[in-house]
Parts: sequence; structure tokens; C-alpha cells
Amino acid sequence: MNAPSAALVAARPERLRLVGQRRQILAMMHQRLMLGMLVYAGIIALIVMRILYLAAFGDHAGRQGGITSLVPERGDILDRDGQPLARTIDAWTIGLHPGKLIGDKLDIARALAKLMPERDEATYFAMMRSRTKFFYLRRRASPALVEAVNALGEPGLSLGREPDRLYPQTSLAAHVIGFTDVDGNGVAGIERAFDRQLATPATRSDPIQLSISSRIQQALEHELLKAMTTYSAIGAAGIIMDIHSGEILAMTSLPQLNPNAAGQGSPEARFNRATLGVYELGSTYKPFTVAMAMDSGVIKSFGQIYNCPKELNVYGRTINDTHPFGRQCTVAEIMKESSNIGTAQIAAQVGSSRQRTFLEKMGFLSPIAIELKEKGRTLTPGNNWGPLETMTVGYGHGIAVTPLHLASGYATLFNGGMYRPPTLLKVGKTHPVPKGRRVFSEETSYKMRALLRLVVTEGTGKKADAPGYRVGGKTGSAEKYFNRSLLVTTFAGVFPMDEPRYVIVAMLDEPKATAATYGFRTAGWNVAPVISGTVSRIAPMLGVRPDKRREPNMAEVLPFVQEAKEQ
Amino acid sequence: MSGSSFRSVFMVASCAGAALGCYLVSLRVASERAALEEIETEIVMAQRDIRLLQTEIGTRGRLAQLERWNVKVLALSAPAADQFLEGGFALARLARPAQPDALEAPVVLAAAPADAPKPTVRGLPGKGSGADDRGVAARDLLRVASFKTEPRPSSSMTINLTNQSGPPKPGMATRSSAAPSKKLASADPTPKSVRSARPARPADPLAPLPAPAKAAKESGKTQ
Repeated sequence: MNAPSAALVAARPERLRLVGQRRQILAMMHQRLMLGMLVYAGIIALIVMRILYLAAFGDHAGRQGGITSLVPERGDILDRDGQPLARTIDAWTIGLHPGKLIGDKLDIARALAKLMPERDEATYFAMMRSRTKFFYLRRRASPALVEAVNALGEPGLSLGREPDRLYPQTSLAAHVIGFTDVDGNGVAGIERAFDRQLATPATRSDPIQLSISSRIQQALEHELLKAMTTYSAIGAAGIIMDIHSGEILAMTSLPQLNPNAAGQGSPEARFNRATLGVYELGSTYKPFTVAMAMDSGVIKSFGQIYNCPKELNVYGRTINDTHPFGRQCTVAEIMKESSNIGTAQIAAQVGSSRQRTFLEKMGFLSPIAIELKEKGRTLTPGNNWGPLETMTVGYGHGIAVTPLHLASGYATLFNGGMYRPPTLLKVGKTHPVPKGRRVFSEETSYKMRALLRLVVTEGTGKKADAPGYRVGGKTGSAEKYFNRSLLVTTFAGVFPMDEPRYVIVAMLDEPKATAATYGFRTAGWNVAPVISGTVSRIAPMLGVRPDKRREPNMAEVLPFVQEAKEQ
Repeated sequence: MSGSSFRSVFMVASCAGAALGCYLVSLRVASERAALEEIETEIVMAQRDIRLLQTEIGTRGRLAQLERWNVKVLALSAPAADQFLEGGFALARLARPAQPDALEAPVVLAAAPADAPKPTVRGLPGKGSGADDRGVAARDLLRVASFKTEPRPSSSMTINLTNQSGPPKPGMATRSSAAPSKKLASADPTPKSVRSARPARPADPLAPLPAPAKAAKESGKTQ
């Protein structure tokens, strides 16, 4: 009776299925759990590792990002002694957001007009009512003004800082350094020539060191400015150069320019007369002609005789002298009295082709080789370089070059005859002295010393002599091409003449006669004293010892001017 | 049971301790580095301030401004060629105190007449200069001698005589005695010292007085 039912004995099929399923499910669940655990463990391990990594190598929370080195927004420009000539500082700017104003606009406009009187209150009021988002009220504001504007407590007036170019020495060497526009791009001088180097982040941390010496520059500028004011000249230029390395120690162009506010200067003031202006050299050119003649073997001694009549008629033109000889004269005398007639004859003997070759080697026929981009194109007779032009070029007429050409030419003539391009960068490891090219022979260079010293001791340049410093040089007074009554007076000098080291060129544009010069306005009267004053100031700084007993070998020239002295 | 279970605990504890130690080291390093960076930042900020101040002082003391002050107030000018010295010797010559030597010089002269012009000393007490200083007394001697022997050559002769008679050796003596007398003559203050003695005897006509100095100079030169 109690027979087990089939149902009781045999498991119900659904139940059997259940057991198998449960196992399967359990296995799957284990798998999933394991997977989930692995994922979690992996994430945690990742986080832990990251934390450990950060703890070991990472930044800490209190770290201040940012300033670790001092790189200016634009590179500095230094002089040769390391004095800053151009720097970038943070300047204050005052701006106006018309939309953010909350106070009474009329009151604010009145207050602003009182603080910044360059605009009246009506203009300020109109600016506040306009729909423009932002106005600059003042860039490069003074701290006192910023404080006063801040005291107004108006959120619509914003005070900010922006990098600004400052030239601490103001007008000193302004034409060399140049200036930048309001956005900080160089537009003149070194600022323009080296704009990329000054602005690129990789290179701007290193300042550019110029060959300019600010003390020497100041002396030259002061003396030139004094002469320019005394003789009412419209402009002036001056250059001091090391003849052996070609470094320019000072270069100035007057009237003065303040690069901090270059826009306010006149175009006349922004014009660089030393490298951009071309002028007829006049008699300062004569030493080149004599040197060319000596180098070509035309002149064998300073005692060589030329016939110097009162006036010379050649090729339908008359050449005159300011101190006519009217007799036979020697080369030394021609130089001493700056005779056009004598020099023209020497130039004619040198000949056109040789003259051109020499001028080309000296770099006189091409724009001056200098880092600046303001370079003047020289004016030459060009294709009309005939015998007459050769004669006039011989005494410096009919050829116009920059004062820097002249300085470079004198450096070439007196450093032993090697041409080296002038440079504005300090010569050092990164900027070595360039290999020169020979223009004149060493002997010519040596002999010219005495000849130019003679001009200062006996001739037209007596006022240029700085006692003890053995200045030698040549005066030059050229008439302006467009108006023959206006002069450009120049003096190109070298010192100390017994061992030449520095060349100094000074030029006055349209000087007028004064009572002190007895009505004269030639170079010997107005520009020569500039040389004397400047040399006696700068020579001690340059390490030139004054010595009244030293002279170049004057025995080469003095015998040939004896006759002139007796007259 | 206990050993094995504690071993695991020790393992965990030592691992945790080591990890903690490592972490502490790294924390310490991080904090040190932070401090260093702070100092670096401070240095940079200080450099920026220095630069700013340098710029300001350079702008205020620019060369053009100094030149203006010089033109208006100081009026300094470039040194002339003569103001430069040749070297150390020239400088030392400038630094030598010249005046005290000259004041001492009359003493040398006073020593000279000690043996020779005794007769003139005998004449002196009548005048009674009353000077207790030996140097002054010697000067008085000299003056009286020149005064008494009115003509100049005689006075110069007395000095010559004194010069020669002073030192014992003749050859060396002339040179050594000539030197001080030359110094006496060339130095400026000697006439001054004579003049200073003038108020002692205002009545004395002193016109020929400079003569001995001149004569001494001549004698110095000739010797």
C-alpha cells in the first residue's frame, strides 16, 4: 500500500533541472563576482599606484606655478659697460568699460577731466555713453594718477599692467637704439634691426650688448649740441669709432629725439643723419686722394711740387681755393691750406678707374655696412665719371656719402690700411673682429699721420687740437647742392696721431656765422672746437694718456712747409 | 597556531611600517622641495624688484641729468694734459711736504756761522734781539752779518766761507753744504721767514736782506 509512487521515487524532472541550473547559475555568479572584484581591485590598484606615483614624483598641492626665472617681455639693450639703454617694465594702464559703470556718469566725467586733462569732460561723458566696450584712457600712467583713479572707486574704470619699453637714458643714443611702436614692435634703430631676436622667447633673455659707451656718447652729444645751438645749425651728427675693431663707441644725430615718446618728435628729429643722411664730404675727402696717389706711386714724397695758380680752368669749369697760393706748392702745403686746385691735379693723376677702385674697396659706393636698417644710398657721378668728375671727387665734391662712411674711411686709412665694416655690437667672443680687406699699404697709412697732424698744428684745423692728445684731422666745408649759400661743415679726426686708435667725426648742418667767429662759418671755426672739447673729455676715459712731448714723425712734412711759414 | 598567525600579523605590520616610512620620506622630500621653490620664487621676485629699482635710479640719475647739474652747479671740466702725472715718482714729489723743510733750513745756516763770524756775534748783543729760539738767533746772526758788510759780494762771500768752513772734508763738504743752501734759496718760504723776524726790530733797514738768499742761490749754482 505504501508503495512508493513513481512520483515520489523519481525526482521530478523540473526539480532535477533546477539542481543543474542552480549549479550553472552559481558558477556564473561566481564568475561575475570574480570579474567585478577584479575590476574593482584593478581600479583601486590603479588609484593606489597613481597616488603612490604622485607622492613620489608628483607635484604637491601648495606648489606655485609660474615665475621661476626672470625673462623680460622684450630683451634688454645694454651699452658696452653693461648700463641699460632699453628695458621693458610693467607700466600701468587706465581703461574704461562703459558698460560696467555704476556711478553718476557726469560726476565721473568731471573727475576724470580733472585728473587727465588731455580730454575735456564732454568727451569723457560721450565715451561713457557710447556702446564701445572698452577705451584706453591712459597708457603708461604714473603711479600717482593710478592711485587717484583707484580712489574714485568705480568698477567701470579698470587699472591694468602691460609691458612697456623704457629708455632710461632718454635721448642718449636715441638714433642708435631706435624705438618701438605702442605694441612693442621695433620700428627704428637696433630695436628694428634685431626685432626678432629681442622678441623671441628663446633669445630675449640674453640682452644685446652694443659697442656704444654711454659716457662717451654723452660727451659727444653734449659738445655737439652746444655747437649746434651756438651756431644755429639745423642739425648735427657725430661718430666716434675704434679704428682697429670697427666698433662704434658713440654715434649721434641731432636734433635730439626722446625715444620714450618718439611719436612726439619731429620727422627732422627722427632722421638719423649719421647713417641715413648723405652729404658732400668736401675737403675731409682730400686725405683719401693723397693716400690713393701715394699708394699708386703718383706721389713719392710730400715735397712733390704742384703748380697752384689762383684759379684753375679745366673742362669748362673753374676751380677755386679759399686760400689761393698763386705759386708752386708742395703736397704738404696743399693739404695744410686745403687747396682744391692742388688736390684736383693729384686726383687727375690718380685717374678715374683707380679712384673708383679705391672708393669701392673703402665701401664708399655702396650703402654703409652696419646693423641698422636706416642706411642712405650714396650719390656718385655714376656713369658720368669723367676726368672733370675725377677731379671734383678728388676734393670731395660731386660725391655724397654718410658721415659714417667718412668715419669708416678714416679708420681704414689710419689703422694700417685695412677696411673693416663698422659695427654697433660689442666685439667679443660671440662677435669677433671681422677679417679686413687691404685698401691702402701700411706705409701710406703711416705717412698720412704726419700730414694730418700738420693740418691741426699748422693749418686749417688749429682749433681742433686738444693739448697733449695729438689730434690729427681734416676740416671740410661743403656748399649744399640746392643752395650754395648754405654749408655743411665737417671735421674728421684721429687721435692719438702717433699711434692712431680712435676716429672722431663731427658734422654741423647749415651753421651760421657768429661774432665770435668773425663772420666765418667754415669748419675750422665751428666744428673743430667740438673735436677739441670732446677729445679732451673722452680721451682719459678711453685710456689715452696726454703727453705734450709725443708727436708723430713730423720730419716727413715740416721741411716742405717752411716757406709757407715765413710768408 | 599562534606562531603562524602572528607571523602574518608581523608581516603586515612590517610592510605597513615600511610603506609608511617610505611615504614619510617622500613627504619630507616634497615639503623640502616646496620650501626650496618658495625661496626660488622669492629670489626671482627680489631680482625683479632690484631690476625695477635699478631702472628707476638709472632713469633718475641719467647722464643727461648729471650733465645738466654739472653745467649749472658743479662746472667741472675735463682735466688738462698738465694735470696728469707721469707715475708714482711724480705723485710722491707732489705729496712731499715742502714747507717744513724750508723752515728748518735757517737752522742749517745758523750752524754754519758758529765758528767763522764770531766777531759779528759780538756786535749783535748791542741790538738785543731777545729771541730765545736758536733758529731765530741764527737768522739774526745772518742778518747782522749782511747788514754790517753792506756790499752784496761780501755777504755772499761770508756765506761761501761758511759753507766751506762748516763741514770738515773739503771735497765732500762743498757738495753736501751746497745742497741745503740751494734748497734754502729755491724754496719760497725762506724770505717769508726772514720777513717774520722783521717785527722784532722795526727800525732796522732791511732793504739788502733778500740779498743773502740770492747770493746763496748763486753760490749754490756756482758750486
